[in-house]
Amino acid sequence: MGDFAARTTKSGVVVVQPTGRLNMVAAPALRKQLNDIVEGGESRIVVDLSATDFIDSSGLGALIAALKIARKAGGDLRIAAPTRQVSTVLELSNLDRVLRSYESAESAFDG
Amino acid sequence: MGKHTLEAVTGPETINEIQQTLEQAFGSEEVSEYTKMCIELAVSEIGTNIIEYSGDGEPVRLRMVVDVAGDNVTVQFTDDGHPAPVDLTQVSMPDETAEGGRGLAIAFRVLDELSYTRDRDGNHWTLIRRQSE
Repeated sequence: MGDFAARTTKSGVVVVQPTGRLNMVAAPALRKQLNDIVEGGESRIVVDLSATDFIDSSGLGALIAALKIARKAGGDLRIAAPTRQVSTVLELSNLDRVLRSYESAESAFDG
Repeated sequence: MGKHTLEAVTGPETINEIQQTLEQAFGSEEVSEYTKMCIELAVSEIGTNIIEYSGDGEPVRLRMVVDVAGDNVTVQFTDDGHPAPVDLTQVSMPDETAEGGRGLAIAFRVLDELSYTRDRDGNHWTLIRRQSE
């Protein structure tokens, strides 16, 4: 178990929902949790950002690190329902293309 | 009007104290939500840099002064750590697959002014954002 709520959908996608502020305090825990999920054999991950009030470069770093290991393991990491602050930070750091966001965790791996 | 100050020895709680100091400074001031978001982000980036690197992982003495005056929000950080090896003329957003190195570039992008100076009191960072309306 990690710091943040996680569940597995019917189609086998792991959804992790970080809450609050994804800064230098929380980012290492998220990074570890996502790493543990991939090491545990699940590589299709959605990070549900609907309850993430704030993200900075520490949080972005955790997402990019996890994206890379998920892809290396043959899967992917996708993000869902980012708050306005998160969307803005993704755009201004040019990460909105590599971390494309989906409306909901359920739709992130559709199609 | 008025300044809000935080004096701290850096540790696990410092980034939250920085955030709280900023919120107190905004308090009843008429600052747009977008300006608040930009300053909050830049302060988190510079604050994180100081906490993580200025003392090479060891605590440093940190002073933060927030000044919300007229159309400008100014945040000044001073710390007694080692000189920051930065060249603010060379800051750029790293490649999208990079896991780190975005902090200064993000701060730069959301601020109107970012400066760093070093003197015998230590490191001084000045962050300025002008209100967008």
